[in-house]
Amino acid sequence: MASFGWKRKVGEKVSKSVVQQFEAEAEKAKDVGPSLQDEEVDWLHASKRRREVLLDDCASKSKRLKDEGAQLAEQGRHKEAIKKWDEAIQLTPDNPDLYEMKSQVLTILQEVFPAVNAAEMAVKYRPLWWEGWQTLGRAQLNMGEVDLAVRSFQVAVHLCPSERTLWQEDLAWACRLKKQHIGTEERTRQEEEAQKQILNAPELEQDYDFESDEVLAACEAVAERQTRYEEMKRTAVVIDAEGNIKNVVTGDGGSEDTATPSKEQFVKARVL
Amino acid sequence: MSTQYSILFKQEHAHDDAIWTAAWGKSEADVTETIVTGSLDDMVKVWKWSDEKLELQWTLEGHQLGVVSVDISHNGAIAASSSLDAHIRLWDLESGKQIKSMDAGPVDAWSVAFSPDSKYIATGSHLGKVNIFGVESGKKEYSLDTRGKFILSIAYSPDGKYLASGAIDGIINIFDIATGKLLHTLEGHAMPIRSLTFSPDSQLLVTASDDGYIKIYDVQHANLAGTLSGHGSWVLNVAFSPDNTHFVSSSSDKSVKVWDASSRACINTFFDHQDQVWSVKYNSTGSKIISAGDDRAIHIYDCPM
Repeated sequence: MASFGWKRKVGEKVSKSVVQQFEAEAEKAKDVGPSLQDEEVDWLHASKRRREVLLDDCASKSKRLKDEGAQLAEQGRHKEAIKKWDEAIQLTPDNPDLYEMKSQVLTILQEVFPAVNAAEMAVKYRPLWWEGWQTLGRAQLNMGEVDLAVRSFQVAVHLCPSERTLWQEDLAWACRLKKQHIGTEERTRQEEEAQKQILNAPELEQDYDFESDEVLAACEAVAERQTRYEEMKRTAVVIDAEGNIKNVVTGDGGSEDTATPSKEQFVKARVL
Repeated sequence: MSTQYSILFKQEHAHDDAIWTAAWGKSEADVTETIVTGSLDDMVKVWKWSDEKLELQWTLEGHQLGVVSVDISHNGAIAASSSLDAHIRLWDLESGKQIKSMDAGPVDAWSVAFSPDSKYIATGSHLGKVNIFGVESGKKEYSLDTRGKFILSIAYSPDGKYLASGAIDGIINIFDIATGKLLHTLEGHAMPIRSLTFSPDSQLLVTASDDGYIKIYDVQHANLAGTLSGHGSWVLNVAFSPDNTHFVSSSSDKSVKVWDASSRACINTFFDHQDQVWSVKYNSTGSKIISAGDDRAIHIYDCPM
């Protein structure tokens, strides 16, 4: 009988390339090891130099992986791009460019929550970078967090007010959605109120001696309310170009139009 | 009177979000000291400084988006605020009521500054124009054109002769107010100038930039008189002391630095904020400094006199 157990694969959490690189380094160190043994070894400085070389190596390798990922993303090979960037992040975990680009691609893949997480890392490591805040705002908007998006876009505008697209597309758009959101909430409240009134009509609450015209009047009132409610359900809240909230009758079931600012999304390569 | 620089008072959680701007004024009517702050939480708050502590007097609601800049009129009666919602609002500090709301047009309200006679408010705009609004009329009266880029910072010289503007591309322009003529264009910094200020005698202009440097100019000859380094990141705000001998700067490196104007040396550094410090100002006598920033805190420091 085969025994069942949880096996943790070696290197599951550690990226392959890092392991390979580490092994190669160790190999190299072994090679030079014996020859050095004859001389007096300055271990303190040697290890320091080793670390610097390693860090240097990580940075250049990460840069290469970043560029490869950017090329893949440009060709629309988004998942592969993310893989490259994840490798790069293993090597240089505090490089905001990687997180920011990853967030853009995750947004394209509709991985809304990871996209927000990645962008949050980007602004954590470089809080004065307006593009990081812009990407965070877009990811938050995609997740439906309109208020948070409005805040992120404001931070971005405050850092770089001369960026017109930030004002005109991102911030203006998020503000419109916020307005719409408030409008929709108000509408939901109204609908609930109307429904409640249908179920417990105030006309039926008082004492009746069931005179025919009184009952008739009550029935009429209830019926009218019901039609109004039906009508309400058929309309949707929309905002016109001037930003005014309007109720518009739609076909069956209100279809919410939540288009993104530009349908055509592309990944901006961050060259810094 | 204190003999050394020290932190005097901290108001933690003064706003619900980052504080972007602060102003310190003095009322002519009752000699009270008033502080006005503006925040990313859309609010303008008015505080009274008395008995060495802050007391919240008014929370002014009205702006739809974050408040970028505030200033107090020289008689201490009116505050002006500008917001990302493109409106400039005037507030009566006595009653806490809004006096006027002026629509500056999209992207056309950034820093606000009262003229020395407090009859006008100057604000920069995205097309490189300095728009001058009348306090009484609530309308745009005229504008000065730098023919440059987005204007981030504005300052009137205290003698009322000059107006200086700092642009996002690092260009400084100095206007003669009487004629409306552009006197000097200085290629001061290569990066955005987020703040500039005249000395009280109107002889010097101090500029702060994202390049991490502070520069001092001789206004009359438009000469560069000095370049100061010390901050580790963007310099976000500068203010001159009323005694004409010191100025103070704040930075995204979380520090506040006090500089000697004649020796150009940094004589004190406050490292009390947890995050970027967006605003720093002196009180009317130069005995106190206020700073506020992304950590939502207002700090008041004591200065030796």
